[in-house]
Amino acid sequence: MITQVSSSLYHQLVAFFEEELPLKGYQEPLGSIRKEAFARFKDSGFPSLKMEDWKYTNLQPLINQHYRLNDSIPGRNVNIDKAVIGGLDTYRLVLVNGHYRKDLSDTITDSGVVVCAIEDGVTEHEFLSHFAKYADRTDNPLVALNTALHEGGLYIHIGKNVTLKKSVQIIHVASADEAVFNQARNLFVLDENAEAEIIESFISNDHSVSLNNTVSELVLKEGARLQHYYLQVADEKSRYLNHTEVKQARHSLYNNYNCSFPGSSFIRNNINVRLDDTAVESHLYGVTLTAQDQLVDNHTIVDHRMPHCESYEWYKNIAQDTSTAVFNGKIFVQPDAQKTNAFQQNNNMLIGDKANIFTKPQLEIFADDVKCSHGCTMGQFDEDALFYLKARGVGEASARVLLVHAFAFDVTEKFSNTHVRAYVDSLIERGLVID
Amino acid sequence: MSTKDDNILQELAVEEYKYGFTTDIEMDIANKGLSEETVRFISAKKGEPEWLLDWRLKALKHFEKMSMPKWQNFEHPKVDFQDISYYAAPKEKPKVSSMEEVDPELLDTFAKLGIPLDEQKILAGVVAVDAVFDSVSVKTTFREKLKEYGVIFCSFGEAVKEYPDLVKQYLGTVVPQTDNIYAALNAAVFSDGSFVYIPKGVNCPMELSTYFRINAQNTGQFERTLIVADEGSYVSYLEGCTAPMRDENQLHAAVVELIALENAEIKYSTVQNWYPGDKEGKGGIYNFVTKRGICRGANSKISWTQVETGSSITWKYPSVILKGDNSVGEFYSVALTRNHQIADTGSKMYHIGKNTRSKIVSKGISAGVSQNSYRGLVQIGKGAEKARNFTQCDSLLIGDKCGAHTFPYIEAKNKTAKLEHEATTSKIGEDQIFYLTQRGIDPEKAVGLIVNGYAKEVLNQLPMEFAVEAQKLLAISLEGSVG
Repeated sequence: MITQVSSSLYHQLVAFFEEELPLKGYQEPLGSIRKEAFARFKDSGFPSLKMEDWKYTNLQPLINQHYRLNDSIPGRNVNIDKAVIGGLDTYRLVLVNGHYRKDLSDTITDSGVVVCAIEDGVTEHEFLSHFAKYADRTDNPLVALNTALHEGGLYIHIGKNVTLKKSVQIIHVASADEAVFNQARNLFVLDENAEAEIIESFISNDHSVSLNNTVSELVLKEGARLQHYYLQVADEKSRYLNHTEVKQARHSLYNNYNCSFPGSSFIRNNINVRLDDTAVESHLYGVTLTAQDQLVDNHTIVDHRMPHCESYEWYKNIAQDTSTAVFNGKIFVQPDAQKTNAFQQNNNMLIGDKANIFTKPQLEIFADDVKCSHGCTMGQFDEDALFYLKARGVGEASARVLLVHAFAFDVTEKFSNTHVRAYVDSLIERGLVID
Repeated sequence: MSTKDDNILQELAVEEYKYGFTTDIEMDIANKGLSEETVRFISAKKGEPEWLLDWRLKALKHFEKMSMPKWQNFEHPKVDFQDISYYAAPKEKPKVSSMEEVDPELLDTFAKLGIPLDEQKILAGVVAVDAVFDSVSVKTTFREKLKEYGVIFCSFGEAVKEYPDLVKQYLGTVVPQTDNIYAALNAAVFSDGSFVYIPKGVNCPMELSTYFRINAQNTGQFERTLIVADEGSYVSYLEGCTAPMRDENQLHAAVVELIALENAEIKYSTVQNWYPGDKEGKGGIYNFVTKRGICRGANSKISWTQVETGSSITWKYPSVILKGDNSVGEFYSVALTRNHQIADTGSKMYHIGKNTRSKIVSKGISAGVSQNSYRGLVQIGKGAEKARNFTQCDSLLIGDKCGAHTFPYIEAKNKTAKLEHEATTSKIGEDQIFYLTQRGIDPEKAVGLIVNGYAKEVLNQLPMEFAVEAQKLLAISLEGSVG
């Protein structure tokens, strides 16, 4: 296996872990977790096209180059204008190349809330009972790599019965003057009945080359409610590998809204939700608008493990130019998960002359008293609808914009935050290539 | 449903798998093991020309280099390719020219299976049968009558001898030797099969049918079917299979190639009832088959219909390559699994030509502790303007220990493609059963009725004689799964 992966990044990482790190001396208890994870990564190497989950997504061009493994200028200045959402007042937390920058961030004054860099979170009392306990169970080699070599990231803990006064906006900035490989690690824990809205924006500065391998673990305890947004607006040269692992307890609600827009040339999102208790509800929504040579790959897993849970997933892809959009939605219903309701829908608009869409909505069901369905469609602009609009004096360009909005509406109308919705609508409009 | 169908459940409560008998007949069986010698032995036995032997040997080389795939949704059983005999045939007798010369034991066997080989006895004469017993074709009926129309319907071995040019021209063009490991194995050791050629503009006057029977122990069955429909012709082809009950697993690795030229249409129906193994999952046939058709000419059509109730593991994806403009591919399937059976089946539609259309309707029914998967691929190539696909795959679960899975792959590379896919999974509605039982239909029959209704869309695609057979088969197979 190892011999197949001859890419320079792999060797660079192995050398870094085995030669440089021991000098620095990572402290226990994370030291042994890192070591164990690295052994797993070393064994598997980077994913290749031969792996079912990476069938359409070729990592080779990304990992066949040399990267800096840490930021050359830790305190650099950054511009975060691009992440501003009009009319929305938030607690702003800024991460530059994965590192939490207190100097650029707001302080959350709500009681019962802890926000700190992940390396400072280790001393928090619950940290070790959650860290690397969920995402590492998957066989994604990139998670193992992140666990082994993560640097930076956030730890957020929201206490029992706390409802955050404002939304938290986490701004991930990629900025560097030479190619950099960032590996942030996040852990968000919501205690019983806590409620929050977390908006994560991904932007880049200076057209810098970066590869960002981020892993986030989210724990929702009984009755916790989380609205979670991903807004991907970075530049072409920033590439993203995001893995999100959600563990939910009884009566909790997790809503994920995953939006990608023209820009970053390579985005791979893994969003895995484990419904590990009864009466859990999860919603996954996605809007992906791709242009030029972009590749956006969304892989989701909804894992029903206990009875009486409900999940709802709806992803919309719009592929323009020569871009590629990939969707893979897995729904598992384990033997114990009777009375499950699982719904999944994937709709695609293939607009670009050379655009590709690959989709695989997948169901694996081991229980009989369930209601599961999935649907998938692929099509283009409806000529009749275009004609209808044009006949009523709407110009071609505006008609197309209108139709794309209508297409995305099923998903955007579900957004809990109207400001984010307006922001996303405007990004869709801006991202459309209308000729 | 006819009254005949209504009696089925009782009728078969006694018999679990009624085709489980063995035939005591003198057999010519090759030694176990796979090597160049084996391939040469088979080729020599069949008196094959040099080019075919070379073709086989090339396939064997590929086979030896290939490894087992890992993507399938079940644990691939360990198959010891050296522990299988690759050739078994009823002892060679002088060439049979009339019915009297066929071994009466054999005739008996096929009569028991309900396959009349005696032409005189079939009055209507709507079906011509090629009976394949273990590795070789025993008898093809109605050959003379078909010849009047120019239709060639014979065993593969005869075709190689009598129509070498046709065979050479089309063999391996749809499923190359290198396609997958079992296709390579088949190419190396295939023993017989059927060959059909429908000449230009001919509408084949009767249904053609092959009946496969595994009898010998420790053998595998590797047959090859090649159907060529020339311009403007039409043929409907049926395939049925059974095997005796044995404790060990037997391998069936067949290859079916269909070629439809301009304006031609091929309809291929399968009712697969290999021995599924006993209640504990012991024994049964591994049914690893490669089936693929190509719509080579414009306006051609290939339609697959399958009813899969047997085999301990069914693993196949009948596919259509839609190369000709305006060509049409269809796939209708009912797969029923119970006890420890596994089915990983579905279809692949490759859209290459312009205005190509395809339709996939797959109905899975799982009972007991069985696992039933639909895996399908719809691929729209760059030049496939205005391609259209509709896919529907439904799963029905009977009992809480079985599984139903769907793995649809959809790949679109042309912006004029229109695709739809939908899938549902549910259990048999309690209110439906209640409604029927309340009207005096016992629960078991009620389930049979509901399942038949659920599968109707597919069963309707079968030629009439087969549709009745398939309905019965579904009812029988459901026996005892309602508790």
